[in-house]
Amino acid sequence: MATSALVVPGQVLGNLSTHRAGPGTHVYENNILASIIGRSIVTPADKGQSGSSKAVISVPRPGTSPSATKTANALPAVGSTVLCRITRVQQRQITASILVVDPSPQDVTSYTRITDDDLQFQAVLRREDIRTHEKDKVVMNDMYRVGDIIRAVVISLGDERNYYISTAGNEFGVVVATSDAGNAMVPASWREMKDVVTGQGESRKVAKPS
Amino acid sequence: MSDRRRLNGPAGTTSPPVFTPSTGSAISPQYRSRKPNELRKIFLQTGVVPSATGSAYLELESPPRSRSTVLNTSSTIKLSCSVHGPKPLPRTASFSPNLQLSASVKFAPFATRNRQGYVRDSTERDIGMHLENALKGVIIPDRWPKSAIDIAVTVLEGEDDQIDGDRIVGVGLVNMLAGCINVSMAALADARVDCLDLLAAGVGAIVAGPEKPLRILDPASIEHEAILASCLVGYLPSRDELVEVWTNGSSSTQGANAGISFDEMLDSAVAAARGAQTVIKEVLVEALTKTKGGTKKLSHDHMNDVEMKT
Repeated sequence: MATSALVVPGQVLGNLSTHRAGPGTHVYENNILASIIGRSIVTPADKGQSGSSKAVISVPRPGTSPSATKTANALPAVGSTVLCRITRVQQRQITASILVVDPSPQDVTSYTRITDDDLQFQAVLRREDIRTHEKDKVVMNDMYRVGDIIRAVVISLGDERNYYISTAGNEFGVVVATSDAGNAMVPASWREMKDVVTGQGESRKVAKPS
Repeated sequence: MSDRRRLNGPAGTTSPPVFTPSTGSAISPQYRSRKPNELRKIFLQTGVVPSATGSAYLELESPPRSRSTVLNTSSTIKLSCSVHGPKPLPRTASFSPNLQLSASVKFAPFATRNRQGYVRDSTERDIGMHLENALKGVIIPDRWPKSAIDIAVTVLEGEDDQIDGDRIVGVGLVNMLAGCINVSMAALADARVDCLDLLAAGVGAIVAGPEKPLRILDPASIEHEAILASCLVGYLPSRDELVEVWTNGSSSTQGANAGISFDEMLDSAVAAARGAQTVIKEVLVEALTKTKGGTKKLSHDHMNDVEMKT
C-alpha cells in the first residue's frame, strides 16, 4: 500500500488502463479523479482473487481509517454492523435509531452524541430477524426494551424511511441496558441480564461480549 | 413586519445625524486601486463550526478607506457556511436513491446598513436558489442514497452597492453569490461530500473607462461609477464546464462598449473563477496537512492567511 500526496476533488489520480477506481474517486473520460479531499492510496491487486489484476486507487474517508474518531458521515450499507437504540417495541417489529455505523472500540463511549431521532437513520427489526432459532416463539418484551442499546447488522436498505436490521447471531443483541429500577445491568447468560444493585434478573437477548 | 415572535428592531431606519465636513465635497467615491485583472484578496478557512459536518468562513479584502468619506460604505464580504448531514430524509419525503441537497442563504440582521429581518426575503431566496442549482452540478448524488444534506450560508457582512445604496442589488448581489458558491464548496469538501471537481465562482464586468469601456475581474461596485455589464460563472476547472451563469447589463459589440463581446466578458469571469479556485485548493490542502490522522480540531492558534498570487 503506497500513500501519495494530498488530493482535492477533481484531481487526476490515474488512468483506467492501469488502475481501477476505488472509494472516494470517480471516473471521467478514462481518468480516475478524486472526489473527496484526503490522501490517495494505491492498493496492489490481489493475485489470488479472480478478476482484473489492476491496482486500486482510493481516497479513504477519515472515519474508515483506524485512528480516526469521525464517523459522522458514514452511511449504513448492507452488511455493516450498527449500534442502535430501541425506540419502540411492537408485537411484530421493533423500531430503533442507528447511532453508530461500523463501530470501533472508542466509538462505544460516545454513542449518545446525537439525541434527536429526526437526525438519526431509523431502522426496523422484524420479529423473525431477532434470532436464528425458535423464531415463532419469540416474545418481543423478553428480547428488547425501549432504551436498550443493541448491536445489529444491516440486512437491507429498506424502504423510503427505514433500514432493516437483524440480530440473528451470537454476537448481536443487547450491549447496554438498564433495569426496571433504573440501574445498569450486566450479562448473566445469553438470555438474561442482572441488575448490578439488586441482583434482579431480566430477560434479554444478550450480545456475546467480545 | 410579519415576524411577531421576536423582539425586532425599530420598524423604520434610525439614521444618526451626519455632519458634513466644511472642506469641499464630502463624499468622494473610492476608486479601484487594483489592476484590471487582479482580484480582491480572499481569506478562507475550513472547519470553523465544530458541530457541523463541514464548515468554512470566507472574507474579502476591504479596500483602504478614504478619510474624507463620511458614510461608512463598506465593500467587503464576510460569509460563514456550515454543512449538516448526511441525515435521513424528512418523514414526509418520498424515496430517493440520491442525495437531496438544499441550500439556503440568510443575511444576518446587521449584515447591511439597513437592518435585515429574520424572515427570509426574496433576495435571500433568489441567491439560495442559484447557489443550490450551482452546487447540484458539482456533487455526486448517487453516493448517498436516502439521505439529505443542508447547506446554510450566513452573510455576516454584505457589500453595499452604491454610496447611498440601501439594498443589495446588481453587482453586489452577483459578488455575494460568487462568495456563497466559493465558501459552500470549501465547506462541502471539508464535509467529505463526493464532488466532481472543486467548483469556483468568479465575476467579470465591463465598466466605463476613461475613453473606452474596460474589461475587469472581480468588480466592487463602489469602486466604479458605471458598470455596463457583469457576469458570474460557476466553473469546474478540471473539466472546463460551467454550472452557473448569471449576466446583467448589455454587452453589445456595437455602440458604447464596442470591442468587448459577451464571450470576452465570460472569459474574464472564468479567469476570476480560476483565481478563486487556487485559493480554495490551497486552503483545503493546508487544512489537511494541519489535521493529523483525520481528527478535526479547531486550530485557533495558527490562523494563517492564504493569499492569492495572480
